[in-house]
Amino acid sequence: MPLDVQGTFVSQKINKVKWIPEEYVETNCFLTGSWDDDVNSIKVWTLERIHEEEEDIEYPRPLSEYTVDGDVTQIKLIDNNKIAVSTSNGDVRLLEISAYDKKSPLREIHVWEKLHSFGSDQCSCTSLDNLDGDIATIGEDGNFNILNSRRGEITRTINGADSCSLHSVCFIKHNEVITGNFRGHMKIWDLRSDTNKPAASFLLAGDEMAATCILNHPTQPHIILAGSESGSLAVWDLRINSFPTSLLNAHSAGVTEMQFHPENPQKLLTCSVSGEIWDWNMEAMTKSTKGPDNQVTTWLPLEDKNAMMVNSLMPALHKSINTLHCDKGKIICGADNEAIYLIKNFKY
Amino acid sequence: MLVILPGKCFEQKAACVFRHGNKFAIYPRSQTTSNTPIAIENQILDIRQDILLFTPILRKLVNESNGTYLSLQKAAETAKTSDNQVEFLKLSRQYRSIIRVCIENLQEAAAKETDGVNKNSLLSYVTIFYSIECIWHLCEILYVDNIPGDIVLPFLLEWVRFHFPCHEQTAAQLLEACERGSEDHPEYWDTVIGMVVQGRVDVARALMKLHSSVDSNEFKLVDNSLRSMPVYSIYGGISTGEFTISWKHWQAECRSKLTSRVLSSQPKLELIMRLIIGDYSAFESIRDMYTSWFDLLGGWVMFTSPWARRHELGAAAAACAGMTAAAAAPRTHLDLMVRALLDGDLHQVIHEIQQMSDNGWFATHLTDILFHCGKLKILDKHQTNVTGRLRDSLVLEYGCLLMEHKSLWSVGLSYLATCPPEGLRRAELILERMPLHSNAKAMRLLAEAKKYGLHELARGVCVCMSTRALGVDGGGGGGAGVGAALAWAVRARGGGGGGGGAACGRAAARALRAYGARGALPAADLLLTAGPHLLLHDTLLLLGKYCDFHRLYKNREFKKAGKLLVSLITSKIAPDYFWETLLLDTLPLLESDELIFSSEDTYEIMLCLELKSSSLSGEKADLLRLALVRNLARASLAGEESSGE
Repeated sequence: MPLDVQGTFVSQKINKVKWIPEEYVETNCFLTGSWDDDVNSIKVWTLERIHEEEEDIEYPRPLSEYTVDGDVTQIKLIDNNKIAVSTSNGDVRLLEISAYDKKSPLREIHVWEKLHSFGSDQCSCTSLDNLDGDIATIGEDGNFNILNSRRGEITRTINGADSCSLHSVCFIKHNEVITGNFRGHMKIWDLRSDTNKPAASFLLAGDEMAATCILNHPTQPHIILAGSESGSLAVWDLRINSFPTSLLNAHSAGVTEMQFHPENPQKLLTCSVSGEIWDWNMEAMTKSTKGPDNQVTTWLPLEDKNAMMVNSLMPALHKSINTLHCDKGKIICGADNEAIYLIKNFKY
Repeated sequence: MLVILPGKCFEQKAACVFRHGNKFAIYPRSQTTSNTPIAIENQILDIRQDILLFTPILRKLVNESNGTYLSLQKAAETAKTSDNQVEFLKLSRQYRSIIRVCIENLQEAAAKETDGVNKNSLLSYVTIFYSIECIWHLCEILYVDNIPGDIVLPFLLEWVRFHFPCHEQTAAQLLEACERGSEDHPEYWDTVIGMVVQGRVDVARALMKLHSSVDSNEFKLVDNSLRSMPVYSIYGGISTGEFTISWKHWQAECRSKLTSRVLSSQPKLELIMRLIIGDYSAFESIRDMYTSWFDLLGGWVMFTSPWARRHELGAAAAACAGMTAAAAAPRTHLDLMVRALLDGDLHQVIHEIQQMSDNGWFATHLTDILFHCGKLKILDKHQTNVTGRLRDSLVLEYGCLLMEHKSLWSVGLSYLATCPPEGLRRAELILERMPLHSNAKAMRLLAEAKKYGLHELARGVCVCMSTRALGVDGGGGGGAGVGAALAWAVRARGGGGGGGGAACGRAAARALRAYGARGALPAADLLLTAGPHLLLHDTLLLLGKYCDFHRLYKNREFKKAGKLLVSLITSKIAPDYFWETLLLDTLPLLESDELIFSSEDTYEIMLCLELKSSSLSGEKADLLRLALVRNLARASLAGEESSGE
């Protein structure tokens, strides 16, 4: 079946979307977080058929709304019905989606108010990541926190982890977290060490643009990808860090979000400020080959990069696509033109 | 509009000033000064026009039509080299479908709404957008679509059918029931006549077949006349002239049938015959059945001049509009617009559209598409073509309106960007004043500035963010503020200019002072990787090098550290408040076991110490002098040893 794209205008700029996972049935509900409006909110949506005769056309309908102060900057699923949400007023919230009735409003489990702040001034909590119930949060104040979602405690705080604002964070292992800052300076933190010094640090690219998102490879955990504000995509092999193994000029403006397809780690999806949403075939990139010095290298030599497969999933929008989330053959993305797009029949 | 000012303070006198956007403020103002302070609470009222387009339902329209608008600009760009009429028609239809979706949403919301006032306003929006769609459709037929041979009749009939569906349902019901003797239905004849007037001859004939006396001669006669009516088709292979002849012949035949008075026993059939020969009084007699004259327009054109071209419709419109209704309804806006449109007076049309209360959405988009189709030609009183200016002014107005909304600013910007150069200048002025609450928004603004080449704006945003970061640091302490300020200041450098440099200087000075006060150098991680950006400003260079000095010192590379420190001292780029720190930093190096400063270095430091002696307290200066002298002695001895060998 051909790719099917369907847009719905929602009167809010969408900054984050996430499918709500289901145990035994096809996912049908998702969350959106809005930004840059007078009132921002997290909404739960469901897809439903309005006209019975139209088999394939499903329209999103809002089920509940949870308003927040400031912009929603990140939504991450902790487990099937818990989410962690960061907002631009520095708060981090742990919310519960009712497992039985999606219509019932999101319930607050825990709120860390003003987790990030400049003294009395407001400071944005720019992103968060989670791994098995541990949540790493970062903010414009350059601080870095580890929260425990089960006990609702702050287990670790590194003040002044960076002298600039931090923009992206990702767990590499249980005890290792990587952060990226406004200048594209990446730092790896070992949570076991007591000193507030990074275990390693390196630059994303020479252009001093912010690292907007970081992602690690689902099956090869030593491989880290970062998207830059300039639109390029960097790949590191952490076994030989300090320089990116590949730096690809990808989008024409900032990469906003990346995701490996959960069922097929060879597929990478990226979206950008330039309004593009791409699907990358990483097979060629991640194949292990024997290098000239008989060492196993994971990345292709430069001349083969042309062979990389990149598809555009949708004609470029005139406004930024801020977020995407993929579940099996369905991809949902949210954009600055106050619309959400549902892409169906994606082959993976 | 009249508003009564609340509060006692306005009872005396009030004044008002314009704020930015569509806001103004009213404040109490009294010219007389009294000695006894008057105990009234003063108030300032901010008054703002409610923008219809900012309601959630209409925001969908705004955003969706923005996409179409931008595609249209692209199409217009390619149309410069090739004919692109088909593309324009597609986009025009897209606009109309957007309006229809919007109407649907409004109706849905109105059905759900329980509050009477809100419901009414929603319904009034529905009316507004109905007329917008109606006018747009007619415009599309007359000016956007490329109709073969310019014969507009079929399209005109379609328009009437689509927007003024009268009797449609009854006709469908009757045909579905398919019962002989349907004339018992109270609306039977109205429906048959309605179908004739709408030009749906086949339906009318099918309906007549349901009459119980369909086999009578009268019915057969009328049916025959209707059946034999010539229909013009551009692809029919006959010329307009030939068609005109055969059509006139057919009408003459009908007329003779009528004058033979065979139909006098069936007044309704007679009326139908009179209608199809284009009898004015017949049309006038049925005018009361309809709420507007648009319903009759299609039929009138069909039965008087089916070969009419678009510029010949004015007369038909005048004829139909002239048919007086018994209950003379006041001329509506829609009336005037349709008349002007059929007369081909687009200037008047746009003028009327601007009176609609949709905040200029319609006028802007319609004018733009007509302009790009090359169908708009508006002359001012000096006979100069002002079409482009009119289009630009509408787009600018609309763009500026959207810029006022917190979320729709990017939409507004994309409108302004299509009117160079003034649009971008305006955008710059508005965006400069946009509040920036987070880096994310500032970065998005930078991306937009880059997209449209607004380098000055980009620099302004960076400098502003840099200054903001410094302000933040003043309260809390810690290095985050200075680091962020430096990072933003470095960004501001793009394209040269002084703003970036000055901001670098400010941030660097703040860092130096912070070091002086707290003894910890902020933003060390940034400075060590800053590279060539250090050259942007002297103070920043000093800060960077000083940071490097700390690094060397910590790594116990004292020789290198000493050399760097001397070069910092002798270059004299340090601001006055930092001299004390720099000079005192030499102390541990002077006192170290290993000789670090040569005698020349020591002389230089001594010179600087004497020149800047005011920046050190007497005791500290003495201590330093002592250390310098001792080092000089060591250095001289060492020098002699090496020269003696």
